[in-house]
Amino acid sequence: MKFGKRLKQQIEETFPTWRDQFLCYKELKKLIKLISSALPIAAEPTKYGKAEAEFVYMLNNKIDKFNTFYMEQEEDFIIRHKELQQRIKRVMDKWSSNGSRTEYNDEMAKIRKDVVDFHGEMVLLENYSNINFTGLAKILKKYDKRTGGLLRLPFIQKVLKQPFFTTDLVSNLVKECENTIDEVLFPIEEDKEETKEQKGAIMVAREPVKGIFRNTVAALLTMEEIRRVSSTKDHFSLPPLNLSHSHLIHSFQLNSPIPIL
Amino acid sequence: MEARPALSIQRSGASQLGSLGVSGGLSSSLSIPSTHLEGTYQKLPDIQQVPSERELTTRPQAHATRVPTNNGVVGHIFSSSSGFSSDLHYSSVLPNEKHSRNSPFISQSLADTASLPLSQSSSSLLPQPTIPSCCNKENSGSWCTDPDFLDFPVSTPVQSGQVENIQRSEDFSKQNDWQEWADQLITCDDALTSNWNELLVDNVTNLEPKMACQVAKPCTTMPAQNQQLPSPSVESLRVVNPSSSANNAPAKPRMRWTPELHEAFVEAVNQLGGSERATPKGVLKLMKVDGLTIYHVKSHLQKYRTARYRPESSEGSSEKKLTSMEEISSLDLKTGMGITEALRLQMEVQKRLHEQLEIQRNLQLRIEEQGRYLQMMFEKQKSGLDKLKVSSSNPENPAATSDATKEAPTKSELESSQRDHLDSGTGTVNNAKSMLERSSREMGGEDMATEAGDLEKTKARVSETSPEQAAKRSRIEE
Repeated sequence: MKFGKRLKQQIEETFPTWRDQFLCYKELKKLIKLISSALPIAAEPTKYGKAEAEFVYMLNNKIDKFNTFYMEQEEDFIIRHKELQQRIKRVMDKWSSNGSRTEYNDEMAKIRKDVVDFHGEMVLLENYSNINFTGLAKILKKYDKRTGGLLRLPFIQKVLKQPFFTTDLVSNLVKECENTIDEVLFPIEEDKEETKEQKGAIMVAREPVKGIFRNTVAALLTMEEIRRVSSTKDHFSLPPLNLSHSHLIHSFQLNSPIPIL
Repeated sequence: MEARPALSIQRSGASQLGSLGVSGGLSSSLSIPSTHLEGTYQKLPDIQQVPSERELTTRPQAHATRVPTNNGVVGHIFSSSSGFSSDLHYSSVLPNEKHSRNSPFISQSLADTASLPLSQSSSSLLPQPTIPSCCNKENSGSWCTDPDFLDFPVSTPVQSGQVENIQRSEDFSKQNDWQEWADQLITCDDALTSNWNELLVDNVTNLEPKMACQVAKPCTTMPAQNQQLPSPSVESLRVVNPSSSANNAPAKPRMRWTPELHEAFVEAVNQLGGSERATPKGVLKLMKVDGLTIYHVKSHLQKYRTARYRPESSEGSSEKKLTSMEEISSLDLKTGMGITEALRLQMEVQKRLHEQLEIQRNLQLRIEEQGRYLQMMFEKQKSGLDKLKVSSSNPENPAATSDATKEAPTKSELESSQRDHLDSGTGTVNNAKSMLERSSREMGGEDMATEAGDLEKTKARVSETSPEQAAKRSRIEE
């Protein structure tokens, strides 16, 4: 039940458009309950076979959904990545050589913000992929446990190859982003004098950022929670998460409507 | 001529097929002198052949655009059957799971009845011999065995037959209309088989390849896509199995874009004068990538345009803009700093999450890999033991159980050792190595108590290192 709760929290924290793209863990659990109570495996093997097929069918549906969503996002990211790089090039060519330092800084500030946000979104997509995979693994484990089936191992092997779990591409984009940020964007002359007006503008302009930031924090904490000691630890469970600065991250949870305890 | 209408009912998925009443109308129109029919059918293979050949190389979308041209030629039957073939591509799933119960029957009877004309087609005289041959080949490939048509078949022996049937039924059904049709089919099963026999006996040999081709055409495209799946064509194009369609979107087999592909796309667009002026067709032609269809290009172009013309606004789109004032007040912590500080902080957190996700993902991969490996070993041992059982009786049982229970601790030992390696890398690597050696030795051994003890120790170690490392890291970073 713990994972279900965490998953729900994660879903609530996530972007509105992503909300129904996650695994419907609870529903699948209910289905397992139905199957296990209604059909003891020994009694009616054919019916059991059908029930298992239905379960598999539902899972496949979900996987299709994940794949579609994931690839859609991936495509967007590829496009945006290219655009950002071009923007950076343009701004650098245009203004780094001339004077007008302030304009350059402004543009770069905007780009910087956009790149960081972009990075954040990609990481959150990876998180999406991972959480759904974990959910699938858990639900399969439950299924095998409850019904005595042998569904888990072969099914998971298939899942591992699915597009939504093969996140290498996004991962590479993330790394490229990090490199870009480290090398190009952040070594800047700190504008020490930030007036109050600027800060005010920051506050308003940063609304979208907050969504991503908050989301990321939530994702990290959820991961930590999920990997704490679970009731059914076996050789397929993940070890506890080793998260440094976790006290700091916890502090970001101030005033969040759904505190993660 | 009962056979023909029955056949058309089978083949088509349009709503009118809910009742067999259609057959009445059809049979009357079809009781035209057979010579006339033969004439029309002979025309058809010509038209059909071109699309079917091309389908071997292109995506099903192309198929959809060409098939309707046949409607004019023959009319009723073939329009509906073309509807079927397009349904086959563009749909993937039964909307209700309730229906899936009936579906095994559907696919069973379909498979039975379908195989009959297809096998016959090879022997019949045909104006275009290539079509039946390809139909036949594809028939055997995709209808009988269908090994990797869908990526998800569960290979457990008990359910394999049923699972396959379910999957086949996924192919053939699209909407609830199919369900009604299916019900009909189940009840008319006997009637149909007798009709099939009639059909075969009848001397309308030209009909068979036609039907066969209509049926097999979906098959031709499927294996083509299967071939595309494992071996990506030019520029690492990865084409996803068409059965995984978008949410109720008609006809969009998902394509996986890559940066290289996107580069080619951008170049083509630039050559054509920019994103506004470029047309999907032009871009498609310029790109010259196998398996890319105009639909893919169209949707990608649309995305590209929106991305370009909102470069200054938040890249992510308005969904990310949280308008509530709570958002602003909730992160007072952040607004205390400057922008760059805040950005840096955000970046740090994101990096952290990314790092952890990577680690977690690798762990998961390894765990599953080991699970599979150990399962294999377990099965090997088991089969070995079964052989022993033939000779002796008693010693096996304790051996078998000890093997089974041994598997668990050793597996987790291996994993813990790997976790140590991944998480810390600060000296527990040696421990990990020694543990690996020990566990491999103990695979042959029988001492479970010590293994269980070791398991606890390693898990404790993993969680112990965490606070230590956290302390270390915070010291270093400060």
